[in-house]
Amino acid sequence: MSRILGHPVVAFLARRIVYSAIVLLGVMVVTFALVQLVPGDPVRIALGTRYTPEAYDALRAASGLDRPLPQQFLSYLGGVLTGDLGVSFRDGQAVAVTLMDRLPATVSLAAVGLLIAMLISVPLGIWAALHEGRISDAAIRIGSQFGVSIPDFWLGMLLITLFSVTLGWFPSSGYIPISQSVGGWAHQVALPGLTVGLVAGAIMTRYIRAAVLEVVDMSYVRTARSKGLPRHTVTFRHIVRNALVPVLTIAGIQLATILGGVIVVEVVFAWPGLGRLVYDAVLMRDYSLIQGAVLLIAALFLLVNLIVDVLYAIIDPRIRLS
Amino acid sequence: MRTHSAALTGVAVASILALTACSGGGESVDLDGTTDSSSESSSEGASGATVIAAIAGEPDQLDPNNTSAYFSFQVLENVFDNLVEPDENLEMQPALAESWELSDDQLTWTFHLREGVTWHDGTDFTAGDVAYTYNRIMDEELANAWRFSAVESVEAPDDSTVVITVTQPSPNLLSSIGGFKGLGIVQEANVTSGEIQTAPIGTGPFSVTEYVSGDHISLAANEDYWGGEPEVAGVEFRFISEPSTALAALQNGEIDWTDNIPPQQVADLEGDDALVLGVEPSNDYWYFALNQDVEPFDDVRVRQAIAYAVDREAIVQAVSYGTAKENQLAIPQTSAWYTAYDEYNYDLERAQELLDEAGVSDLEIDFMATSDYPESSTAAQVLASSLEDLGITVTIRTPDFATWLDEQGSGNWDALMLGWLGNIDPDDFYYAQHHSEGGSNFQGYSNPDVDALLDSGRVETDEAARAEIYAEAATMIADDASYIYLYNPAIIQAWSPDLEGYVARSDAAIRFHDVSLAD
Repeated sequence: MSRILGHPVVAFLARRIVYSAIVLLGVMVVTFALVQLVPGDPVRIALGTRYTPEAYDALRAASGLDRPLPQQFLSYLGGVLTGDLGVSFRDGQAVAVTLMDRLPATVSLAAVGLLIAMLISVPLGIWAALHEGRISDAAIRIGSQFGVSIPDFWLGMLLITLFSVTLGWFPSSGYIPISQSVGGWAHQVALPGLTVGLVAGAIMTRYIRAAVLEVVDMSYVRTARSKGLPRHTVTFRHIVRNALVPVLTIAGIQLATILGGVIVVEVVFAWPGLGRLVYDAVLMRDYSLIQGAVLLIAALFLLVNLIVDVLYAIIDPRIRLS
Repeated sequence: MRTHSAALTGVAVASILALTACSGGGESVDLDGTTDSSSESSSEGASGATVIAAIAGEPDQLDPNNTSAYFSFQVLENVFDNLVEPDENLEMQPALAESWELSDDQLTWTFHLREGVTWHDGTDFTAGDVAYTYNRIMDEELANAWRFSAVESVEAPDDSTVVITVTQPSPNLLSSIGGFKGLGIVQEANVTSGEIQTAPIGTGPFSVTEYVSGDHISLAANEDYWGGEPEVAGVEFRFISEPSTALAALQNGEIDWTDNIPPQQVADLEGDDALVLGVEPSNDYWYFALNQDVEPFDDVRVRQAIAYAVDREAIVQAVSYGTAKENQLAIPQTSAWYTAYDEYNYDLERAQELLDEAGVSDLEIDFMATSDYPESSTAAQVLASSLEDLGITVTIRTPDFATWLDEQGSGNWDALMLGWLGNIDPDDFYYAQHHSEGGSNFQGYSNPDVDALLDSGRVETDEAARAEIYAEAATMIADDASYIYLYNPAIIQAWSPDLEGYVARSDAAIRFHDVSLAD
């Protein structure tokens, strides 16, 4: 038993879980405080522009907003510890249920977006670095600069105009769960996934090019070359492998960014993800939903970081899980 | 080694897909277990095709008595019924009540209900449901409780009779209970179980079968509907907030109907054979108000000066590309309650004279528009540029609507702009906004003569006399520049030529009962 607990991976995971719990508690405190500081009254929003003062008091009391703040926070904290994220002000539904409804759409869009981004950026970034200063490098750099500068809103509309309206190949909006129909899901996710992927891919191409360039100048690469190793062996065994760690870091950050909500892309393609949910929740001052969504996104962020850290150790055994 | 890097990517992606699979894609609320997958919904149903309609946002909840969101009412219009309902000319017609009579003292309304009406779950609809609904709104102080301010009691002496007793003659009672789905009749069991918020049961032409958060709501035709079974198998409301996406989806044949049209494209769409465009003048209105609790806007001459500086034509062009209709009072020309008024035509000289008379110069105005209604910020900019010609400095703030409402309530503004939606009876247009005791009189207007007129309009049962009262009150309100009225916006909708029998209505109610969909 002590052997299992003493195993570096288990110890690492245990430490990370404790660390994550502390981070999440901090997230909860900060989110709760920020939500209170934002002007705008959820009761007024829910009632619309016309109501009686009695209706205002009745709804405020019914939703617990008339209680003192410390009491509200403690009851929120107690709820979270028992897995209850509270009830949405907007529709009276359990926040946890709403978030789980929206999570698959966000996760699948993020996965497809990241996959497309990797397919674009890994070959282009490596190629550009290995051909530094040549025309192909310049072309890739200009292309990625272009991709970074394009507003995702505009790119999305462009793809809709081309692939939906003109060619009629893909739908412009909507979502079908992967559990319901893989083909239908793929058809729906194509355009929003491409939008996310092109933008993220352009950013990642630049980072990967820089990461590979750094490795190219390392002494061990020169040594390998001077030993007379074949060109592709040097490229893949020495350069690319060592450049993977920074690549993984940037991929992790990109993935976390996408998970945190590509609000604009979700709005353009009417994609029922977390980004739009959070956006609507903020407009409605739906306190429980905002707090729950931020907590979930923070947890996903920590999870992605954890996966990235474990992958580091797999790529490069010199990196210890510590 | 390339395979190595691909494998790593694969690990990352696979772990994410596993996460997707864990959560099971279980977002659909299958309410009766009979609905098919939503992807099939555009195909043929039992008795025809399903209409796919795109609305600009998601309903907050589906309890008609509890919501105040327009997106909810767009859906619920087809699910719930009221005792009476407005026809296309906004006259009240029988709905769940087949007939009604009013006692000689004008204080007792007796409604006779339609026989044989059933709820979507098959149980019988009775007068008890009506009494339950109205008492619920009053007892629980729901948002619409103000519509029953004159109601003393609602009773159901037998299953087919509802008696409403009022404390004073209430000529606007019918439009109060019929003009708005917020007063839709709900079922007690559906309310007490809490299911009404996501799985409402109504008596309307369509029943809610599936609600997928963030994506769509599916309705199925109610074959037992008292008004006759709808011709289409159902309606699917999709939530598409971006107007250009909604339009692309319509042009691409993915949807059959939308009211989410970029206004700047309306002129182009008029010649487009691929769709039908409905532009209908609405009963909504946009206004501009000055805070009369703040100097110098307590001086009527200053407010009038600003009213003369409003270039309505420029505003209408800027916000609606000419689709809206300029107006100097609240009620549009198409209404039976319309009053002609054209005092404040754009006249900067007159405006300057009035400012000079009031001894006001170097005026600075803190103008509150809201980013959630972009037309208010656009109109604010046009207004600001006219006022600059009078030497007035305008600072425009555009908080989001939640903040805007807070600021309005706290009086922290000099000028603001907003619209009122969906009014029918003149009392709705004027009382809450301009009576000294009105619940929405945030601009601080008080004129005893107007108060007296608005009080008498509430109880006057002779229609012609009532029209005169409101014409007088409206004119006084405009003369005092309590609100500076700007325009009535147009209802703009577009649909596929295959969708037959659809009518764009001035109250923006979207009804699919009478439509059919060609293949």
